[in-house]
Amino acid sequence: MRSLSIGATGMLAQQRNVEVISNNLANMNTTGFMRRRTEFHDLLYQNLRRVGSTSSDAGDIVPSGVQLGLGVKLAAVYRIHEQGNLNPTDNAFDLAIQGRGFFQIQMPNGETAYTRDGTFQLNADGQLVTHDGYAILPNITVPSNAVDVSINTSGEVLVKLDGQVSYSNVGQLNTAIFPNDAGLESIGSNLYLETPASGNAATAAPGSTGYGTILQGFLETSNVNAVEEISNLISAQRAYEMNSKVIQTSDDMMGTLTSLR
Amino acid sequence: MQSFGQSPHKKTRHKRKRSKPKVRQMENTGYIALSRQGTLRREMSTIANNLANMNTTAYKGERMMFVEHLTRSKSADFIADQKLAFTRDVASYRNINDGPIEQTGNPLDVAIHGKGYFVTQGPDGDPQYTRNGNFRMDNTGQLVTQAGLPVLTQAGAPVFFAPEDTNIVITGDGTISTQNGQLGKLQVVEFDNEMQLKRAANGMYTTDQAAIAMDRPEVAQYALERSNVEGVMEMTRMIEISRKYKSIQNMLTKEDERIRKAIGELAKISQS
Repeated sequence: MRSLSIGATGMLAQQRNVEVISNNLANMNTTGFMRRRTEFHDLLYQNLRRVGSTSSDAGDIVPSGVQLGLGVKLAAVYRIHEQGNLNPTDNAFDLAIQGRGFFQIQMPNGETAYTRDGTFQLNADGQLVTHDGYAILPNITVPSNAVDVSINTSGEVLVKLDGQVSYSNVGQLNTAIFPNDAGLESIGSNLYLETPASGNAATAAPGSTGYGTILQGFLETSNVNAVEEISNLISAQRAYEMNSKVIQTSDDMMGTLTSLR
Repeated sequence: MQSFGQSPHKKTRHKRKRSKPKVRQMENTGYIALSRQGTLRREMSTIANNLANMNTTAYKGERMMFVEHLTRSKSADFIADQKLAFTRDVASYRNINDGPIEQTGNPLDVAIHGKGYFVTQGPDGDPQYTRNGNFRMDNTGQLVTQAGLPVLTQAGAPVFFAPEDTNIVITGDGTISTQNGQLGKLQVVEFDNEMQLKRAANGMYTTDQAAIAMDRPEVAQYALERSNVEGVMEMTRMIEISRKYKSIQNMLTKEDERIRKAIGELAKISQS
């Protein structure tokens, strides 16, 4: 019975949907997290009566054929790169990007990873690193005798040294943008890697055309909207239930067949 | 006397001739019931497909249409009607009502209000149509569907975004622009007979009909059209089908009993 397997594809799809929603909810308070959305496509169609076929030799065309769908499949789980809220933290090394762009991170294996999570700190050498200790690219070192650090919207790191009045520039933070942000590969820890789907990274100072600006003392919250996720969760659960009913009913119908005689 | 002499032969021949349709008569009930059960099963899979696609973007629910298929009964002295009515599924039709529009927050999600289909370039060069406006950019910055088919503008050209293009705005009539200027207008078409669009996988449609360009399509950015399947309606239909199926099964059982009884009774008569 076709409807049995169709119901099964439906249940599987809704299960994936719930998994994605639960991951969004789990990361509701993850800095810089981008929510995911599941996208479904219908499966192939079986033609019992082809659309556009003729019903007589006079050329009468069947108004609409009989096409039986064979279920549903998961088409994509795509990230929605919507700006999250900016939360003030009053920490000099907490940075948020307002607009497009990613911070560049030097991974231990030499690769460059990208993130929007700007919870940076200084390591023992005064170098700006992530909370995992990975260096920010390009490298920025804050002298130990600095009394104040100011990072402006275009990514210039300005420090005021002990006993000085004016600020001096110790580096420039660059951000990266991609032709297709959604094509980046997530590797956990709020980090992304470049892939053939994302296109090559283009780097420039924040605030250049097409690049977002940097806000010091702020962090970007996740863009998960709890109300929306919960309502999606409910609709996914209901769809799951209905698909299970399809299986139940199909089984019932088959049961009447086997109970014959 | 001539006739008498011939009659036994004639009679047997006549009998044989008549007995054949009689056997069919006995089984007609079974065939008719079977034809109905077959259509019910197919309708059930249509409903299963609708429910499976309850959360599929821009999916349109389907219904099965049945007709009475009349055939002349073979026997002239058939007690009841001279025609037998079988059931046949003649067509499946799509519910082409708009699905509810859902906000997604993705600048490349576009929904069509009311009539219309987006035009994409199929792998074989022929256009494919869809109402699923869940677009994305590929690594070259081209606007494509999730399956990777290029989305076409009114000029029939694909859309390319520059890496620096940020503020992508798609206005109500489908005009795409960024801070660097206009890139084109999304092609939205309609058809004389929407029902004749052939469904392909991934929410695409193909057709031999000529597409009619729409002057004033109504599209919405940051939104997707949800499936127009109404779960409650489908569930009700499903219950109905299940009950019908069972009642036909019941009828078949009864029919089986009747035939068995008839054979038994007839056997008794012939024995006595």
